[in-house]
Amino acid sequence: MHLALAYRPFIDPLDLHAAWYMLIVPLAFGIALTYKAIRVGDMTQYAKQVVVMSIQIVGAMGLLGLASYLLIQHVLPRILPLQ
Amino acid sequence: MSPDPSPSSPRFRPASLVAAVVLPGLGHFIGGERLRGVLIAVGVLGLFFGGMLIGGIDVIDSREDRVWFFGQALVGPTAFAVDWAHQTQFKVIDPATRQLRTAYPDEGRDAGGVATSGGTPPNIKSINKVNDIGTLYATIAGMLNLICILDAGWPPRRRHNPAVS
Repeated sequence: MHLALAYRPFIDPLDLHAAWYMLIVPLAFGIALTYKAIRVGDMTQYAKQVVVMSIQIVGAMGLLGLASYLLIQHVLPRILPLQ
Repeated sequence: MSPDPSPSSPRFRPASLVAAVVLPGLGHFIGGERLRGVLIAVGVLGLFFGGMLIGGIDVIDSREDRVWFFGQALVGPTAFAVDWAHQTQFKVIDPATRQLRTAYPDEGRDAGGVATSGGTPPNIKSINKVNDIGTLYATIAGMLNLICILDAGWPPRRRHNPAVS
């Protein structure tokens, strides 16, 4: 409670420990915003391409997370069961 | 006589390269691609300061997180200025070891920069995932800016020719 009251933006950390995984959305958007700024030839397509790339990044990370979960929780215990 | 460059071969723009190193997006801006320059500045600086917003100034630390700072330094003088402020204005000198460190939650900082018992710490050290992600934001900002710096110095011709996609 004390830390929340004393919060100073850009100096103290945000209390986002319970929702840290949501931070991938603005991260993906920032990456797409910058990368597409130099990659897109026709700037009328820029906004659409940023949205598509942001969705691709978040989707790919979600799939990688799901694959890691399945590998560690279900596949590996069958191959190498704990003694 | 040298052959003509292909439509996709880059031409070197040294002024844009230097400007891009000084401030994200400035290279494209002075090179005539003003919208791209603004978008690059918003993206790179947004990620860099977004990382600081998440993890605090603790995520920019050339002493304790040196390898990460190599990536963050690619943002340019902005990253070095933030790191300088962190090291000299926020960290405290440990009275016992005389080493720089972040003040503990129950410590303050006197005029000489030495940690004192009681008072408000200059900053709170970030930990766990919040520190990881804040550091990652700022480092990705630097790595993206490297691509932008190279693009400003050697802009691809095909981007300016609608006939070549």
